[in-house]
Amino acid sequence: MYANEYLTGEAELAEYVRPRSLEEALAIAGRGAKPLAGCTDLFPATDRPALGGALLDLTGVEGLSGITRTDRGWRIGAVTRWAEVAGAALPPAFDGLRAAAREVGAIQIQNAGTVGGNLCNASPAADGVPPLLTLDARVELASAAGRREMALAEFVTGPRRTALAEGEILTAVIVPEPAGRGAFLKLGARSSLVISIVMAAGRIDVAGGRVAEAAFSVGACSPVAVRLPALEAALAGLPVAEAADRVEAGLVVPALSALSDLRAEAGYRAEASVVLIRRLVAGLTGGAA
Amino acid sequence: MPDTLPFPPRMGSNAGQPLSRRDGPLKVTGAATFAADNHPEGMLYAVPATAAIARGRVTGMNVAAARAHPGVVEVYTPANRPPLMHDPDEKLGLFGMRMEALQNDSVRYAGQPIAFVVAETLEAATEGAALLAPEYAAEPARVTAETGERYTPERVGFGGPLSVGAGDIEAGLAAAAHRLETRFETPDQYHNAMEPHALVAQWDGDKLTLDTPNQAIVMACGLFAAYFGIPAENIHLRSPFLGGGFGSKAVPTGAQILTILAARELGRPVKLALTRQQMFGPVGHRARTWQTLRMGLDGAGKLTALHHHSTGATSSFDDFIEPAAAASRTLYASPAILTTHDGIRLDTGTPGAMRAPGEASGSAALEVAIDEAAEVCGMNPLAFRLANYAEVEPITGKPYSSKALRECYEAGAKAFGWASRPLAPRQMRDEAGMLTGWGMGTAVFHCPMFPASAEAVIRADGTAVIRTSGADMGQGAWTALAQIGAAALGLDPDQVEFESGHSHLPDAGVAGGSGHTASAGQALHNAGEDAVARLAELASTDPASPLYGTGNAGVLARRGRLYARDDESRSESYAEILARAGKPQVEGTGKGARDPASAETYALQAHGAVFAEVKVDPELGQMRVSRMIGAFAAGRIINPKLARSQYLGGMIWGLSFALHEEAIHDRRTGRIVNADFAGYHVPVNADVPEMEAIMIHEDDPHVNVLGVKGVGEIGITGSVGAVANAIWHATGFRPHRFPVRIEDVLPSLS
Ligand SMILES: Cc1cc2nc3c(=O)[nH]c(=O)nc-3n(C[C@H](O)[C@H](O)[C@H](O)COP(=O)(O)OP(=O)(O)OC[C@H]3O[C@@H](n4cnc5c(N)ncnc54)[C@H](O)[C@@H]3O)c2cc1C
Repeated sequence: MYANEYLTGEAELAEYVRPRSLEEALAIAGRGAKPLAGCTDLFPATDRPALGGALLDLTGVEGLSGITRTDRGWRIGAVTRWAEVAGAALPPAFDGLRAAAREVGAIQIQNAGTVGGNLCNASPAADGVPPLLTLDARVELASAAGRREMALAEFVTGPRRTALAEGEILTAVIVPEPAGRGAFLKLGARSSLVISIVMAAGRIDVAGGRVAEAAFSVGACSPVAVRLPALEAALAGLPVAEAADRVEAGLVVPALSALSDLRAEAGYRAEASVVLIRRLVAGLTGGAA
Repeated sequence: MPDTLPFPPRMGSNAGQPLSRRDGPLKVTGAATFAADNHPEGMLYAVPATAAIARGRVTGMNVAAARAHPGVVEVYTPANRPPLMHDPDEKLGLFGMRMEALQNDSVRYAGQPIAFVVAETLEAATEGAALLAPEYAAEPARVTAETGERYTPERVGFGGPLSVGAGDIEAGLAAAAHRLETRFETPDQYHNAMEPHALVAQWDGDKLTLDTPNQAIVMACGLFAAYFGIPAENIHLRSPFLGGGFGSKAVPTGAQILTILAARELGRPVKLALTRQQMFGPVGHRARTWQTLRMGLDGAGKLTALHHHSTGATSSFDDFIEPAAAASRTLYASPAILTTHDGIRLDTGTPGAMRAPGEASGSAALEVAIDEAAEVCGMNPLAFRLANYAEVEPITGKPYSSKALRECYEAGAKAFGWASRPLAPRQMRDEAGMLTGWGMGTAVFHCPMFPASAEAVIRADGTAVIRTSGADMGQGAWTALAQIGAAALGLDPDQVEFESGHSHLPDAGVAGGSGHTASAGQALHNAGEDAVARLAELASTDPASPLYGTGNAGVLARRGRLYARDDESRSESYAEILARAGKPQVEGTGKGARDPASAETYALQAHGAVFAEVKVDPELGQMRVSRMIGAFAAGRIINPKLARSQYLGGMIWGLSFALHEEAIHDRRTGRIVNADFAGYHVPVNADVPEMEAIMIHEDDPHVNVLGVKGVGEIGITGSVGAVANAIWHATGFRPHRFPVRIEDVLPSLS
């Protein structure tokens, strides 16, 4: 444990800790220290030259980063960087998540920013959320008091709000063995390094020329990214050749409650969502929209 | 590129070569020191506190809290700001601007410095500024055309005339077969060089050392000095490297003056480095314009009248009106041309020169309007431009000193494949189904020169040193100017040491207006020739020299030797000449300036033609430029590698102007809501397509001795219009405001 004078000047000596063990980390979190990973969300949100208060750097904690296969499915450590996700050897169902990893900011950001940070920061425009929603991801939380697990859809409760309790940290994302192939499309005002106007993720499992399972999600439209159950139900069982044509506004837009902001108007977001979903479906079923 | 190389050897062998930048290794290894890299012993840090309202007064600040913060050394507010020798509300010379140096408690725009905290660390100064927590009596912000105050300025740009024209517009319109009136809006854009403004001030008695990036080193010393009542020579301004300037780093700004003042009051060096957010307001910008073009056209597609009016925004307290309509003065032939301006006062910082001031915004409007005129006449946009080609400058009737625009059109169109362009819009799609359009624009920029001087010294060992206060903003002045100096001296650039980038050198003038290479280059050229002439004098008057009797004009300087012009078997090296004369060196001086006679006789302009391909997603309205080709004729090209970078950089800026850049004001608070790089978009690499800059040979005997016109700004002009016109060609939607937004094109798609 050391005080970093450079960060704060001589005035207030903040506590900055970079523990190696999870137990230690949880103990420090329990004392109210703020967890941090790549700091790519934290720094831009801080209008001072240094982060204030007690800080818990999770990047040195053993077992918190990396992707492993367990008997419960795939386990993505919370401190896994996006660059690692992009390059990981994962089944085709993760293609959407890997594509999203390559769209988070730019390479420098992907080298520092983590999956856990993206989820805990809970921005409506977090590119990691829609693909993980389509993978039925669950999150593993830990605190000095114990561990718990919940669906990602329950974890993100609102813009910049999560189900994390005081002293609790996200330790991993768990994805049960997913079937099929995934994809991700992002719409932004420029080609890269841009906050999404809309992004959409999809996963389709095809069996016998028909859609066996479909999972779709849209982000940056609503306060929290959403799954599209009506669309998923409508696609299920369809011959693949008919799937893309089945995508219509009525199956997508009502789920969104799209927002207007300086990046786009609600009407455009709604329309663009439908277009992106249709393209995803076309791509995942081998046709062209 | 090859076309630029086999120039007549008027300038020796190294000018015209694509040398790599001499400062490149320093920059890529981090060895180049930028202003903020200087940390003199005992240095303090300064941070301005900035206004959160756009108009009103500061009614209170918690100065005590800021002072009490550990590490804070001093807090300056209007209550305790020490006096200055020049009133910040008075203009200083042609380029000086009114500024905020805590002269009173009024707020004139959001982001204005309202207090100044100096501390032992940057963190303490930043925290001190935050602790001030100012309170305001705010008045409604005027940041829209509707709320701003309309007025008639005396001048536009830097002292330019409000209105210029010739012929009878109304008669031309009355006689026209087709009439067209079209309106445009361009946004506020902020320079945002990679390196934000920085300054380290150190006093020694009444001598002042300033480390600060500057585009007009000697002139700036005069301006800085006036605020402190010291002679300009007392200031040593060091600006070896600039991380970009684009027009915003020529004149002092309030925070810089306060930094120098604090250094004097506190008796310690003080450093200021603006944050990215602080760049949005106090250091100039390209202001909004509202432009109207009225055109008359005859049955053959020739202009009978062209009236270009531009309303430019400026601040409530100073005047810089974008001379946007000037773009229409010199490009297309018309029996009647009128260019007029007026202004709107807004609660913003004062705008200033930003890369291609006037022409960038003006040509954006003009080139779209010209395309609209072509459409009205049912003509191909290139054929229309050729039909209205100006053989002499339209308003003045002067011949151009040189004008290879026709060749630019031809080469650009050929490289682009323009000939196969369908006339009507919405005819092309790519394999992915994207609507594809091709557009073009004409590029134009004037070629000013600024008074400059230089020295050249040939040393005993036959090498030389050349000196002028030039400014390398990344454009390559360290390299191109050295090439010119070396050529005049008959030496290799490797044998020439170049002292530049500080104020204790002969004045290189302003690195602006695309005139630095021409101005400082001519001074170096003349200085080099002067030094060679002195050497020739020594040799030709020395009976022991093989060159005895040749006379001054009778020699050629090449590779460190003088040769008799009529008998190259007679020659002697510089070192030999100096050794025999017993001299350690010979010195030459030279000046660069526009020859008034040539300016009187000729129209001096660089030209180009830009072609762009844009793809528009038919469902999403997303627009992407997929190809851009520019062909430019700008007189002699000293270094094609550097010139290419300038052209491409300009074209990318044009793309940015067309599709990305815009500062957006909150109507209630008057603050800029996207004052950072997350919200203020410039293109990223992935937005920049295949680009090509073709250099068209142009030998200009009139523009100046070197035949150099300048390449720094012209790339933006023409490019904005080319992209906008390609959007029209792809979609049928005609853009009238920039940047073109998805919402604008969308209705045309459904
Ligand atoms: C230039 C730039 C571009 C960006 N572009 C994108 C983009 O295109 N798409 C996108 O989605 N995001 C983007 N981001 C945001 C950011 O990079 C990502 O959200 C990233 O995944 C955040 O991870 P991090 O490790 O840096 O989080 P940090 O900044 O370290 O943390 C973010 C938040 O999460 C909390 N936190 C972090 N880890 C944990 C944990 N394990 N347990 C509990 N709480 C935790 C922190 O306390 C903090 O509140 C961009 C950021 C920048 C600076």
